[in-house]
Amino acid sequence: MAMDDKPLVELDFSQMIVAVARHRDRSAFAALFEHFAPRLKAYLVRAGADEAQADELAQEALLTLWRKADTFDPTRATAATWIFTIARNLRTDRFRKQWRDVPAGDDMPDTIDEAASPDETLSDAERGERVRQALRQLPPEQIKVIELSFFEDQPHAEIAQTLGLPLGTVKSRIRIAMTKLRDLVGDLS
Amino acid sequence: MTIRHHASNETLAAYAAGTLDLGRRLVVASHLERCAACRGFVRGMEHVAGVMLEDLAPTPMSADALAHTMARIDREPSVRRATAALPASDQSGMPACLRPYEMGRWRWVGPGVEMRPILLPEAEKVRVFLLKAVPGTRLPQHTHEGSELTSILAGSFHHEGGDFFAGDFEEADDDTEHRPVVGQGETCICLVALEGRLKLSGFVGALLNPFVRL
Repeated sequence: MAMDDKPLVELDFSQMIVAVARHRDRSAFAALFEHFAPRLKAYLVRAGADEAQADELAQEALLTLWRKADTFDPTRATAATWIFTIARNLRTDRFRKQWRDVPAGDDMPDTIDEAASPDETLSDAERGERVRQALRQLPPEQIKVIELSFFEDQPHAEIAQTLGLPLGTVKSRIRIAMTKLRDLVGDLS
Repeated sequence: MTIRHHASNETLAAYAAGTLDLGRRLVVASHLERCAACRGFVRGMEHVAGVMLEDLAPTPMSADALAHTMARIDREPSVRRATAALPASDQSGMPACLRPYEMGRWRWVGPGVEMRPILLPEAEKVRVFLLKAVPGTRLPQHTHEGSELTSILAGSFHHEGGDFFAGDFEEADDDTEHRPVVGQGETCICLVALEGRLKLSGFVGALLNPFVRL
């Protein structure tokens, strides 16, 4: 790929989050919103929320991004990964109602806030590319079951129906894919 | 300290996806606090989820969503409030993930054995508690019903499935049949998520079954 194919300014969402943290940059926030809110909504709908809930929760997630931007560490996570964990934590909180004064999402350790790894200077795009490379080593039918069961939280029986496969096949496929993934992404940082 | 027994891939992936119930989540979190290998996999799966999120076809937001959120931002205080002080159970030696939760009192459940419930916000089908047993406690054999996650915080126990020390993690289900013995030396303390009622499973079931009705 020729270098000059790249746009002059490459959008890096991590840097936008940093701009929100440091300068309360509203246009960076708006750009993050435009990119991620519709994707979060799509994710939440697939994970079982209705349209209105998903819209509201996606907004809530972006508001949380605004509030907690200073806790984001671009050397350890991509914007997409961090934003996923925000939505995930909101979603699990929402599903078990509010309780006392525990701040939303704060009881779940941010596992991505980890001890620093040697590779500190990867961009969002490079980090994402590493994960995509790892995923490409799985056959598509294994990626599919991971997508459905892990990401979209569909029960095994439902996946079996969707894919027209016996339940046992779905289960063993997930197990095999998980074992491979543990090797492939277990030490990605 | 070498950790020999880890959480299963499925359990860790469900943790990363946020689909574990609260009780199991706490027990897994207490293991993650000590286990770099399992943390690495959870983080890896979070990255996988990030890529899947990035690659998802967007669903359009409602028309006023951005304006609405911007208006909420305008109402935000300019300085972020410090996270409210968390209550009750901030005790040394306890996993950090338990801090937001209150605990009940230690209760005697049998000779040398005590339990202390972690109070969850609402009744869940999985209950969480600390379990403490003095060295050398021998437990009667039991069959299992329901699943059980155990994170060993201190001391050790041993059964047909292996030797479990502080930092280790055990998953037992209804196929498991064990006769655990608490190791010599230190008092064994575990954090346990237990599913279902009576006919208890694994290490804990063996401990509790003769003594208490749960």
